Amino acid sequence: MDNQANLETAQARIAEAPDPAALAALERELLGKDGLLGQQLSAIPSLPPAERGPAGRAANELKTALTAGLQARAAELAQADLARDRAGVGFDATLPPPQVERGSLHPITHVTRKLVEVFTSMGYHILDGPEVELDWYNFEALNISADHPARDSQDTFYCDEKGSLVLRTHTSPVQVRAMERLTPPFRLVCPGKVFRQESTDATHEHTFHQMEGLVVGKDISVGHLVGTMKTLLRGIFGRDIDVRLRPGHFPFVEPGFELDARCVFCSDGCRVCKGTRWIELLPCGLVHPKVLQAAGIDPDEWSGFAFGLGLSRLVMLSHGIDDVRHLLGGDLRFLEQFSC
Amino acid sequence: MLISMRWLGRHVDLTGIDPEQLALDLTLSTAEVEGVERFAPYLSDVVVGHVTERVKHPDADKLGICQVDVGTGEPLQIVCGAPNVAAGQRVAVATVGTVLPGDFKIKKSKIRGVPSVGMICSERELGLSDEHDGIWVLPGEPTVGAPVAEAIGIDDWVLEIDNKSLTHRPDLWGHRGIAREVAAILQRPLLPLETSMPDLGSEDPVSVRVESPACSRYIGLSIDGVGQGKTPDWMRALLLATDQRPIDLLVDLSNFVMGDLGQPNHIFDRDQLSSEGIVVREAREGETLVTLDEVQRNLQPSDLLICSGGEGVALAGIMGGENSKVLEGTARLLLEVACFEPVPVRRTSSRLGLRTDSSARFEKHLDPTLPLQAAGHFARLLRELQPNVSFPAQLVDVGDWSDPACEIPLNPDQVRRSLGADISDEVMTTLLTSIDFGVQPQDGGLMVRVPSNRATKDIGIEMDLVEEIGRLYRYGNIPEQHLVGALVPPPVDHRRELTESCRDLLAGGARFHETMSYSFQSDSLHQMLGLDGDSYVSVINPVAEGSARIRRTVLPSLLTLLEPNRRQREEVRLFEIGKGYRPEEGNDRGEPKEVHELGLVLCQSKIDNPSFEQGALARLMAVVKDLLGALQFPDLQFVPCEEAPVPWVHPVRRVELVVGASGKQAGTTIGFVAELDPGLAGPLGIDGELASDTAAACVSLDLLLEQEPSGTSFVPLPRYPGFKIDVAIVAPDEVPARDLALAIEKAGKGNARDLVVFDLFRGEQLGADRRSLAYHLVLQNDKKTLTDKDAQSFLRRLERGLGELGAELRS
Ligand SMILES: [Zn+2]
Repeated sequence: MDNQANLETAQARIAEAPDPAALAALERELLGKDGLLGQQLSAIPSLPPAERGPAGRAANELKTALTAGLQARAAELAQADLARDRAGVGFDATLPPPQVERGSLHPITHVTRKLVEVFTSMGYHILDGPEVELDWYNFEALNISADHPARDSQDTFYCDEKGSLVLRTHTSPVQVRAMERLTPPFRLVCPGKVFRQESTDATHEHTFHQMEGLVVGKDISVGHLVGTMKTLLRGIFGRDIDVRLRPGHFPFVEPGFELDARCVFCSDGCRVCKGTRWIELLPCGLVHPKVLQAAGIDPDEWSGFAFGLGLSRLVMLSHGIDDVRHLLGGDLRFLEQFSC
Repeated sequence: MLISMRWLGRHVDLTGIDPEQLALDLTLSTAEVEGVERFAPYLSDVVVGHVTERVKHPDADKLGICQVDVGTGEPLQIVCGAPNVAAGQRVAVATVGTVLPGDFKIKKSKIRGVPSVGMICSERELGLSDEHDGIWVLPGEPTVGAPVAEAIGIDDWVLEIDNKSLTHRPDLWGHRGIAREVAAILQRPLLPLETSMPDLGSEDPVSVRVESPACSRYIGLSIDGVGQGKTPDWMRALLLATDQRPIDLLVDLSNFVMGDLGQPNHIFDRDQLSSEGIVVREAREGETLVTLDEVQRNLQPSDLLICSGGEGVALAGIMGGENSKVLEGTARLLLEVACFEPVPVRRTSSRLGLRTDSSARFEKHLDPTLPLQAAGHFARLLRELQPNVSFPAQLVDVGDWSDPACEIPLNPDQVRRSLGADISDEVMTTLLTSIDFGVQPQDGGLMVRVPSNRATKDIGIEMDLVEEIGRLYRYGNIPEQHLVGALVPPPVDHRRELTESCRDLLAGGARFHETMSYSFQSDSLHQMLGLDGDSYVSVINPVAEGSARIRRTVLPSLLTLLEPNRRQREEVRLFEIGKGYRPEEGNDRGEPKEVHELGLVLCQSKIDNPSFEQGALARLMAVVKDLLGALQFPDLQFVPCEEAPVPWVHPVRRVELVVGASGKQAGTTIGFVAELDPGLAGPLGIDGELASDTAAACVSLDLLLEQEPSGTSFVPLPRYPGFKIDVAIVAPDEVPARDLALAIEKAGKGNARDLVVFDLFRGEQLGADRRSLAYHLVLQNDKKTLTDKDAQSFLRRLERGLGELGAELRS
């Protein structure tokens, strides 16, 4: 009878154990040497032999009952824990998460990579050339005569009084350097920094980025130029974009063109194309025979086309940037807007 | 340049041609049309009124009360203050509700008690001219009630052509040239223009002597008997449409001839010229001339001057002199029509900042046969307007010029190949003929005669003819083609791979922001950083004083970005991959040596007692270590640098970056990481409330490219477990961490791995000039499981090793 009462008291205490720690303490107390079970077990040897068997069984039953009670309470507590976790008390979905800081790549890098990816997939080499350039490569070899207005000091930064060294005014000199080195046929593009002597404002900058393209082969025609440009635009924008050629004059190409593309940003009152639905995309043309000759390529055997993409302009157009000076200004508030 | 459609209509029939369509046609075949605008749109809003009565205002002497019929039945009563208004006139009336220039809306009003509905307009009120002495009396008898522009035949559309697209086309700087293109495009005839010289008298002409090759032709035409006369309205309207203010008959006629044929010309008062006539010569050093705009110009020998009696009377091809201008009432004139060389005109006009319609044309290699036509055109127009004029003397026509017209053989197959279009010989012939080129079959191909107006500069080789055919055929009609060729992967480009990897690693894991800077660095920046003594490539015409130098190295550019960015951000992490130029290491072609660099800056607001890993220098070293590790240079070592790599770094807190060092091999220094010299915080503007902890790093990509990366060979995973232990070592400050690491390595006998410092601590309990360094490490062996005993013996060996250094294990 005593045992039964003790068991009931013990079970009641188990049921009230508030947490796993209290339950563990209770388990030690009840099942330990000095606990309820321990006392019963330690009393057994002093009992008369006939009572020892029943007492042993009773102790075992007690142990089984206590263990079951403890396990049940443990399960209950675990359930309660889960239920509390699931209740998610205090969660506020509208609380902003902590800021993860990122790095960024310059938008010129982004646009260059995009174009390089498309061009390499079309078999173009990527070339680099110096920013401080010999007059020969920047002008003379490109059929830009000594009295051409482009050579005026309002347009060109000269590095010496003789005018033999300039800051390149376009990426076109890399064409000539490449033609000197390579054997036709070849296709190449050269991205890089170029310079024009002019004061800066929101739409003018003395330093900007371009990408020159050159293809030399057998019987290269205006048709090839158009086809290539359409393929390029498909590669960049993922869909067909109409282009048109109109006359444009550049001394190193003949015939020379301005290539317009259908405005891809168009909406009512489009600010990009000013409602014309065409964007002036790039100057291009068939390589002038004199340019081929100057670079040691026989114009009777080979022909080619060249084009010049304005990377800075492309960046400004595609991001809607209204001030060209942001590009080289190094302002983190600008740079951070472009991912990595 | 502005082109009036009505003006074009004098040379080609434009009946039924839409202005927008014409603009598009010109853009696609000839030159870019940037805009199409209606000429004086206000003239379509005002109507022709007939003044039927004018009486004096009862209360104001100067006002008149007019009854004006505007074709609506009841005449309008309009109070008008103009002195010249009179009954019987046809006038321009703005009725109630009309809006005039300046957003001026006509309302019903009362003027001195008399009701007035509408306004009789002056030319100025219509934005036509500055004329406002009286109302504009319309010529002839235009239809009452009709819009004024149509009624008097001056309604017009104006095309604005981008001058840049005309630089190579001297023939397009006048309406007739554009009309020739339009005629070819529309396949309509170019109307004939009579420009032959009218009868000339037999007096001796004004003598003209050309002393400079910069004038290749000079024509002088003497004109007598010019009387007073107003420029006809049709001519005034055409000039206005092309943004030329009508001034007086002679000036207007001169401008009209220029706008019509593209040939500038100038009129002198013959009575103002010396009896010796005209001399064309280079200016003398120190000579001056007051030009028509009343500015005194300081001249140089490179300027070409028209002189008379020893002094300049005009700046050749640019602007006349104030001293020879034609005054009201001048009856005896000399018309100058000349050819001046483009380059001297451009140089002079740009040096003097004096660009005129005349200089813009002479810069373009004008047709040398054009002056004679222009002189004839001028003479004929003048005689039409003033039948009493006479041309008393023979024409002067001097100079050393030749007709540039030339012949170019054309291979039609070459045209088809270059354009990629199957155009027949016949079509080619038609297209070329339509712009006055002569075409004859010859030797199985074609022989093309290029007229003088196209042969001065533009057309010289066969490919130039390909362009003419292509643009008139329309490039849009050429089928697109795809390039065909062997597809070969481009050659491996190590430099590109390296720079692109750097970009990804730095912007990615390291969370740096890429920037691109100007290549110019200012003298003041170089002075501040102690870089003034280096040699630089410099431009001779910088955009601003003191910013002529091209950088040798990237980092100074980044240092200028610290202050503005720190104003916005607690921390600035920037990198740039760029080029620098070193003239002293240039080659024999005169090219400076080009270097490629990676520059990094890390600038954070100063914190008190930073832990060892919080400092900018340690953080940047970690970034560089990680970067080079990822680039397959795990052997990167930071080596104390005795000599400053650049003058602006901290005298002590700096390290060199060395790769490729092993055993006795010294390795190569490829850059440095350093704190800024503390003295630069002020000059760079990162002091006071912007007080910062700043480190910078430079990596030479050129040197890095020359190194052999260690590559990635697979390391087998450990087969036996290792165990982690932490050790803390107390050591005197002068024992470098490298020695402590070596002691640990030595005590580990090859089993101490993954050594990481996780704490650096100083404190009184350690004693002065001593520090405690705490390390995580793993003890592990490839052949067996290590036990506690091995750990104990490791610690004992370490204890001994440290003892030799004067350091000890901290319990
Ligand atoms: Zn658009």
